[in-house]
Amino acid sequence: MDETSELKKQTAGVSNDENNEKGKYMTFKSGNEYFGLAIQYVNEIIQMQEITAIPETEDYIKGLINLRGKVVPVIDVRLRFKQKPLEYNDRTCIIVVNVKSTVVGLIVEKIAEVVEINEDNILPPPKIGHSDKVQNKYVYGIGKVGNAVKLLLDPDKLLNDEDLSIVEQANDLNMEEEGEV
Amino acid sequence: MAEEFSTDGMLDMYLFENGQLLEQLQETVLEQKDADCFDEDSINEIFRTMHTIKGSSGIMMFDDITAVSHKLEDVFYYLRESHPEHVPHLELVEHVLEVEDFISSEMEKIRNGDPVDGDSSEIIAGLDKFLDMIKNGGVEEGIEPPPENVHEEPKHFYIAPVATSASRFYRIYINFFPETEMANVHAYKVVYSLKEIAEDLLYSPEDIISDETSAQTIIDDGFKILLQAQCSEEEIRKIIGVGYDIEKVDVYECKAEEFLLGFDFGEQDEPLAVIDLDSSVEEIESKAEAKAEGNSEEPKETKEKKEPAKPKMAPGDFVIKSKEPGKAKKLAKDRNKGEKATFISVNVKKMDQLMDLIGELVISESVVLQNPDLKVPGLNLDRFNKAAAQLSKISTDLQDVIMSMRMVSLANTFQKMNRIVFDVSRKLGKDIEFEMVGEQTEVDKNIIEKISDPLMHIVRNSVDHGIEEKEQRLESGKSEKGKVILSAKTEAGKVWISVEDDGQGLDREKILKKARKQGLLDENKPDEAYADKEVYQFITLPGFSTNEEVTEYSGRGVGMDVVVQNIQSIGGTLDIESTPGLGSIMSLKIPLTLAIIDGIVLETGNSSFVLETGVIKEFVRVKEDMMIYEPNGDEYIMIRGECYPVLRLGRWYGLEHYREAVEDGVMLILEVEEQRVCLLVDKLIGEQEIVVKPIPSYIKKVKGLSGCTQLGDGSIALILDATGLME
Repeated sequence: MDETSELKKQTAGVSNDENNEKGKYMTFKSGNEYFGLAIQYVNEIIQMQEITAIPETEDYIKGLINLRGKVVPVIDVRLRFKQKPLEYNDRTCIIVVNVKSTVVGLIVEKIAEVVEINEDNILPPPKIGHSDKVQNKYVYGIGKVGNAVKLLLDPDKLLNDEDLSIVEQANDLNMEEEGEV
Repeated sequence: MAEEFSTDGMLDMYLFENGQLLEQLQETVLEQKDADCFDEDSINEIFRTMHTIKGSSGIMMFDDITAVSHKLEDVFYYLRESHPEHVPHLELVEHVLEVEDFISSEMEKIRNGDPVDGDSSEIIAGLDKFLDMIKNGGVEEGIEPPPENVHEEPKHFYIAPVATSASRFYRIYINFFPETEMANVHAYKVVYSLKEIAEDLLYSPEDIISDETSAQTIIDDGFKILLQAQCSEEEIRKIIGVGYDIEKVDVYECKAEEFLLGFDFGEQDEPLAVIDLDSSVEEIESKAEAKAEGNSEEPKETKEKKEPAKPKMAPGDFVIKSKEPGKAKKLAKDRNKGEKATFISVNVKKMDQLMDLIGELVISESVVLQNPDLKVPGLNLDRFNKAAAQLSKISTDLQDVIMSMRMVSLANTFQKMNRIVFDVSRKLGKDIEFEMVGEQTEVDKNIIEKISDPLMHIVRNSVDHGIEEKEQRLESGKSEKGKVILSAKTEAGKVWISVEDDGQGLDREKILKKARKQGLLDENKPDEAYADKEVYQFITLPGFSTNEEVTEYSGRGVGMDVVVQNIQSIGGTLDIESTPGLGSIMSLKIPLTLAIIDGIVLETGNSSFVLETGVIKEFVRVKEDMMIYEPNGDEYIMIRGECYPVLRLGRWYGLEHYREAVEDGVMLILEVEEQRVCLLVDKLIGEQEIVVKPIPSYIKKVKGLSGCTQLGDGSIALILDATGLME
């Protein structure tokens, strides 16, 4: 835990005090949008590593990495959002998140910054309208930072498949849930 | 004594050492449970174990443990000294185990910081009764009951060397075995120990320290001591002890005047040596001695002639029979020493930390050794490469060691089962032979903890339900003795632990009937439609027990479901096989998470895989013309006249860039449980000891993969599960 907090301090300049973490979001770029992830879920940020692919899994699950002896699965956020895959480069990073004790690495194309967003500045996602339905499932709010807008992610939904829009994948869904237990 | 020490640090040591002693004790006892009696070595060992426990518990002031171990020590002291016949062996075994249980449970309380409140009186009473019984049996058989092993703390005898009215005078003759080396030193040991209680002490020959010839004199003529002390003859015998060196100890009480006369007196005047012992015991003793001594007396004859004054059969004579006396003691010493040196207990968390660090080390190592800076042309890297190779070797070794540290053999768990079989079979009056196979199989410590309870349950079931009553066994033409085999092996990336019994097997009809009653069966499906395996799985459902009677051990219908739950929680499965009338086999298949296996690392496409060496029968290079293609897409291969199905790893997993042509790749013939399959891979990398890690649960189960592992370069390889590949 010490290590984690320290890393957080280094990467984000945030102290490990719980109160200080509140309202802070790690933002990263995927496609044209900037997304925000509540900082308490973030364990650390590492560089792109060699990934061991696992056959017969969803395409967004890129495989496993060796994080100091621990085997951590990594998913590609772009693919998760059904965006077009992008070649990995030296800006590509892996955000290691810990959601309810499940440790997963998120491959993002670019890390932005840590921002503070007041609750007043967080709006619920638009319910009606846009064609981009899939994305709304993971986004629980829209944070305003100055003129820019960050889509705030629900990490639980991001990792778990329960809201796959395509119905015929319901079978996969069940299996995933079992796997989670 | 305890006030002088702080017991905090000692307590850990006490618990650890005694824990080991008890484990060893149980093993010894169970090893010999089927014999007619304990052999000399084990009697000595149990005696010593109890003595040690008694001693250390005394220091730690755990009175009940001290009392119980003392009592058991008494019993074994008697066995050791008197060799009584007709000892009810099983009863004795039970007594020992009872004591062991008691001490274990008390130690558990100590460990948890609970008050040590166990009541030892019942066990002690039981032991007393038992001791009386074998003693009486002994008298009837004409064997001398030895003096009680009265143990009192020597500190009671610390008194000033001043003669008081309570002082008593003794003449002591000690004969050492003729083959004893340096008898003078042994004699000095006796003198030294007597000094603690002595008010006055004289011995002959006098110069036993510097005069080496005294050793021969002592052997030839015996060692004589005149002692003035306040203790009884028994206590003196105790202090002199029953070492392996002393053949015979004679203690005679005498009057003060005789004492003052020195050594000559005793040898002249024999009748005075008669002493005031309990006469009724004496009578028995002298009679018994006459019989018992008949044989052992002869070799001593010559020596006795040299001491003509000594009564040949003095009352209270105390003869330690010679049965390779030196050997056992020596062995035990070595073993104790070895244990201390072999084991230290380490917090598992520290081990995990260490393991993580090693992982990091391996990664940084590859970062250094494959650093792009080294690729600058024109560098002379000879010496660097040499050093680098050395570094790699050390870090690989280090990794291996760390990983093997978590592995524990199943021997202890199996030993526990042995105990359970013994207990249950005794209580149920069944005669059961218990066999253990492959108990040296190593699995991760976590797994051991998880399987212990389920295994216990299965073993109990086998003994209780599986093995029939004696009469029933005889009727069905089986030997009276039931058999339970507990075996373990690793195969196909899993630990297989099976409990096999030659009992009545599962009753298919009964299970079906019950299942129907509980509404578990499909109404429209006839009984015959259910496969045996399906039927047997019913017994793993909650509340399902076909046993009409609830016994102490099983039959309540809780159990098998818990067993299955526990096993499933570590990713294992339970298989039940049964043949009516011939017995049943329950097998646990548990994935070797974190277990170390020998693996072959291979490559297909750009991915590395590992296969357990054990499942690979052979590697073959094949030619295209050996292949047989079926129209439906199945492929077979003929190798030396045998036909195997072919599985292409690359195609199976939809990998990219794998070698399509069979001639470019390597065929691996795999065999699991008589099934064979040929696996086509691109190339082999090498053989390696690998640590199996589970694939994170986030990723759903992939058929044919049982886990993953970290290779030497820090990359991750997937472990193929041969069983999964064959399905």
